[in-house]
Amino acid sequence: MNIKKFGVVVLLGALVASFGLFGCSSNNASSDSSDDYTLLNDGVLVVGLSPDYPPFENLEGDELVGFEVELGQAIAEELGLQYENKNLQFDAIIPAVTAGGQVDIGMSGFTVTPERAEQIDFTDTFYIDDQAVAVMKDEGITKDNAADALNQEGVIIAVQSGTTGEVYAQENYPNAVIQPYGNSTDCFAAMQSGQANAVCTNKAVVEKMIKDAYQNAEIVATSATGEEYAIVVSKDNPKLTEAINEALKKLQENGTIDELTAKWF
Amino acid sequence: MQQRISSAAAVLMAFVVACAVAFVGLTALPADAEALDTAKCTARPNADGSSEVKGATETRITWEGQAAEDESIKGITLTLPQGTSFTTKNARITMLSGEDLMQRTNIDASFSQEGDSIVATFDNAAPAGGYFRFEVYEVKFPATGGAMELTGTYELADGDYKEIGEIPAINVVSVDPAEELSSYLGKQEWVQAWNSNKFLHLFLDPTILVTSFPVVVKGFFMALGIVLVAFPCAIPFGLILALMRMSRLRVLRGIATTYVNVVRGTPLFLQIYIAFFGLPLAGMQVPPFPLGVVVLAMNSSAYLCEIFRAGIQSIPKGQFEASRSLGMNGAQTMLFVIIPQTVRRVIPTMTSEFILLYKDTSLLAAVGVMEVVMYAKTIVAATGSITPYIVAACFYLVITLPLAKIVGHLEDHLANKDAGGSKKKKRKKHKAPAPLDPELEGNLAVASESRFGENLRAAEKAIEAKAVSAADSLVEELHAEKEAASAALRGASSLATESGKAE
Repeated sequence: MNIKKFGVVVLLGALVASFGLFGCSSNNASSDSSDDYTLLNDGVLVVGLSPDYPPFENLEGDELVGFEVELGQAIAEELGLQYENKNLQFDAIIPAVTAGGQVDIGMSGFTVTPERAEQIDFTDTFYIDDQAVAVMKDEGITKDNAADALNQEGVIIAVQSGTTGEVYAQENYPNAVIQPYGNSTDCFAAMQSGQANAVCTNKAVVEKMIKDAYQNAEIVATSATGEEYAIVVSKDNPKLTEAINEALKKLQENGTIDELTAKWF
Repeated sequence: MQQRISSAAAVLMAFVVACAVAFVGLTALPADAEALDTAKCTARPNADGSSEVKGATETRITWEGQAAEDESIKGITLTLPQGTSFTTKNARITMLSGEDLMQRTNIDASFSQEGDSIVATFDNAAPAGGYFRFEVYEVKFPATGGAMELTGTYELADGDYKEIGEIPAINVVSVDPAEELSSYLGKQEWVQAWNSNKFLHLFLDPTILVTSFPVVVKGFFMALGIVLVAFPCAIPFGLILALMRMSRLRVLRGIATTYVNVVRGTPLFLQIYIAFFGLPLAGMQVPPFPLGVVVLAMNSSAYLCEIFRAGIQSIPKGQFEASRSLGMNGAQTMLFVIIPQTVRRVIPTMTSEFILLYKDTSLLAAVGVMEVVMYAKTIVAATGSITPYIVAACFYLVITLPLAKIVGHLEDHLANKDAGGSKKKKRKKHKAPAPLDPELEGNLAVASESRFGENLRAAEKAIEAKAVSAADSLVEELHAEKEAASAALRGASSLATESGKAE
């Protein structure tokens, strides 16, 4: 019995030690190449995204499509890297970027906010979006009464957890219940099934969702919040931010970004 | 007398003045539009997962106002309540125009701090009649909270200063002790040293630990509430299913078997999705809490059915025969002889099932039920630290660890009682022999396959089944001998693997 316990202790010790070693080794790797950016795997840019955000990133069948997907591919090409996506829940992407080890960058409709900028670095922005609130057409909420009708006790507004839409809804409809869901698809599903009265998220997404899948919903409120989309990079990897900024600049100059914008919006 | 007259005169005068003011006010109403009217003034909620604005915690103020048609504005000054701190960093002014105010124009302006006021001076006077948005970052309201009254002035292109129309107060709640403790901790040197380690900062940040605790505890009560209602509901349902499965009527057996196989053969996550998004579409509006309870209870009843069935079938046939020969009918036999014996045997497994069900409440987070994981998620999303998940894990362990301990004791007790405390080897549950009943074995195989990622459940069920079969073995001496032999064999082989590990 004692021998067994001893064995367990040894095993645990070994586990902890290996963790420590692993941590050290990854730190070493990043300090070794301080003059250049670090990547998880050489030659591959691993992008964390939540593929439920049309037209920025979503799955068509099993193919990943969207504005940010193509932009990411263009950036990877510009940097001479291979693009690889890693699907995560939206609210898990920033923690994943901060923690490292899972993704190199996050590119999933991230709005630049000073609050987020404390945790991660933003690249230059490449798209500007606004907030919109959608309801089902038979809900009885119209553009004229939306501001009051939505800010009522008993009204449930579905939002995607961790998004600027969530904060916007909390700030502007404080009396309503703001119900967070894991992704925007669930928000719309919740609204259609009557679990929520409205959905608040970025305008381009609401428009696309309504056009493609929820023709019986409509936008009743918009706000020109002017949210600037950017790519999320770890604070430990400033060289990567620089490299991406350069790539973005080139893509802006050669018209790729305009082309993509025209294609997707 | 003179005094009285003068006071009467004063009252009269006051009345006249009041009337005049009112009159002027009325007539001035249209003229009032020649001012910067506040459209809204809000602060970004900074309490985790709610719409509240807390004092002494960073927030952002958004003020919006509509200038009169002929007013060209050159500067805006907002005066915040005393004791409020803020920075001019990131502050910005945006002019909104067009239909629905969806056109944005950035106004270049310089910002300065004058006492409690933030002064924005536009580089160029804005076009007349603009709609402006003024955002101030890193605002910290006083810790005491209350209705925060803001005032403001604006400067016209011609240099005139005017008051901004009334600004609605921002309700700020006072900081709770946890917040205070958090900011106190944030200033401590050891905490800063602690947080400078990335791993510790990500997983065990003390400042986030103390703030997430009171938030996540709300989810803890929710989860506990759900499981405490769902589990007792699942027990009678599970028992009925078990009796149906053992019924002589093929129809009853068929219904119960189908139900159990479908429920156990699909992930609980999917069942939750179907219930939460599917049922309302079918016209059934059920609030999240009862719906969550129903889904979990229905799921659990299928597993409980198998537990009960295994328990009932583990009672030796002799018991049935004996009670029948005493003149009891089938129902009496079940009720007074078999089930009382079964209860004792299934309690450990039922406790395990309870533990699993409690953990499964976390799946409800996906459909917006505010339970432990949901609250933790909202804080993780806001802070980028994994610490709230660690706090959440603690709230699961608080329940599961003591219960697991109880299960262990119950199993020991059961094994000792049934085995007369003779076989010490039986205590090594993991090395106990596999069930000898082929049907039971089949069930276990199904159980282990039915729920992906739930190896634990299968393992725990296997343990119970082993205990049950261990009980059987006493009655049948032959079995016991076999088991002892196989247990010894397994013991030997596991020793071998252990020594292999050590190497």
